[in-house]
Amino acid sequence: MIETAIVVGIIRILFVGIIITAAYIISTRNLLSVVSVYALQSLTLVCIALALYSLEGSIVLLAIAVVTFISKVIIIPYFIATIQEKIRIKRDIEFHYLSPTSSLLISMALMMVIYMALARIVEGTPVRESLFFFGAVLGISLMLMGMMVTFSRKRAITKVLGFLSMENGVLLFGMFVTELPFIIEFLIIIDLIILVILTTILSVGIDSTLEDYHKRLHRFHLLIEPEEVS
Amino acid sequence: MNFDFILYLIINTLVVVAISPLFVSLIKKVKAWTQGRQGPSVFQTYFSLIKLLKKEVIYSPNSSWIMQVTPFVTMAAILVAALFVPLVFVPEPIGGIGNIILFLYLLVLARFFMALAGLDAGSSFGGMGSSREMSISSIIEPTTVIVFAALAFVFKTLNIFDMFVLTSGSGLPATPTLILIGISLFIILIVETSRIPVDNPETHLELTMIHEGMVLEQSGRNLALMELSAAVKMTVLMMLLINLMVPFGLATTLTLAGMLIAVIVLVVKGSILAGIIGLFESSMAKKRFFQLPSLFAMAFFFSTLIIIIEVFS
Repeated sequence: MIETAIVVGIIRILFVGIIITAAYIISTRNLLSVVSVYALQSLTLVCIALALYSLEGSIVLLAIAVVTFISKVIIIPYFIATIQEKIRIKRDIEFHYLSPTSSLLISMALMMVIYMALARIVEGTPVRESLFFFGAVLGISLMLMGMMVTFSRKRAITKVLGFLSMENGVLLFGMFVTELPFIIEFLIIIDLIILVILTTILSVGIDSTLEDYHKRLHRFHLLIEPEEVS
Repeated sequence: MNFDFILYLIINTLVVVAISPLFVSLIKKVKAWTQGRQGPSVFQTYFSLIKLLKKEVIYSPNSSWIMQVTPFVTMAAILVAALFVPLVFVPEPIGGIGNIILFLYLLVLARFFMALAGLDAGSSFGGMGSSREMSISSIIEPTTVIVFAALAFVFKTLNIFDMFVLTSGSGLPATPTLILIGISLFIILIVETSRIPVDNPETHLELTMIHEGMVLEQSGRNLALMELSAAVKMTVLMMLLINLMVPFGLATTLTLAGMLIAVIVLVVKGSILAGIIGLFESSMAKKRFFQLPSLFAMAFFFSTLIIIIEVFS
């Protein structure tokens, strides 16, 4: 068995890795690297799950690690990378509402608010000092940062990536705070949703903004709106 | 002021002046390799500096005393700043030496005079370079201050010497907060030394030059001093980063053997970092001027995060 202090140290360093990848996803304009950074973020989550397993020995954590590794480190990045090769978009330079710089600054403020709010909730309990508190803060922040990516980007593909990184936040929060079996079910459902989104996108094409996408749905007769009364 | 400290002043200055051209040429070499070229020899910067030192100085008839004073002021300010970052061994700090706030001001003093000299000769390139440099520095300055504030928060001291003693004493290669600080310092290093996403040090193209624009009117040994001061500045910032992240090898006592080892380790670590900088520069294109704040925002984000963590936990 590895020493507890070392494992805690490793987990802290992995936390830093998650912060760095999240900041990168939120601020980059290069689409090709976003996918690999997302895969890296998921891999970091796998490592955290393994480290927690060595601390607690709960078999569920091992299961989470395996499921995450297969789905989020291999399958999903592979899918998105193939799509990217087809559509030949390399840069994402269109933004709604927020530029990358301002979303980075806002996410900083968000993290601080979450930290203070959670600190008030767990004040006085032994959880306050531990790793789990920090993991929870990071999980929620990652979720909100992913949300910010989702609404500040125009391209459908980055929206999906923001959604995926949001889901990583849920997973992180789940690993550190809530009961695990429930979270696994939750995970699978979300993964299914993502798969559905991916397949629709695969069949219709995502080299477009959402408005454009709507038009294509019309063109392929996938979406039939009631006819206007003349 | 004791004997040890005087020795430190001499050794540190000599070492920094001796090795800084090496790192500059190393970066060029790595960049050449990634482009599939052979590149100049690693001693090329030394040769160019010696050549420039032998040449005569020509002043524009429009220029004032600023032009004549600037190379010396810049070099002096940077060399004093170099004393603040121990390279070989860490003595007891005396007076204000090692104070992090003074360190920042010295760097700014050098930059201020460089910008003035750019304006002084009245050429449009110099003016443009100065204007760009000043607008960039007004954006990067808050970030720099925040990064160094984070350093001070983490180590609970304002003195760089004490920080080095702490890191080399702990023996740990890198704690989580130090990784974040390392990234921020790396960004500061890139911006302060006008390297690629911000400025391209290799071109003299009107559209892009910032640092080169300002030194365009300098000639002869004055130019050599300007180039050398830029190299020393880069080395000092590199060493600040290295000695905080991987303090291995830095001597805390004054022995001959310890210092020799320290110099060798220093050159090796510096070369590795120079290689990393070269690869980083090769991997990206120069950014548009108005996109630069997103680079600074990254450093700002990480260091503010550190301060939050340090204050609240």
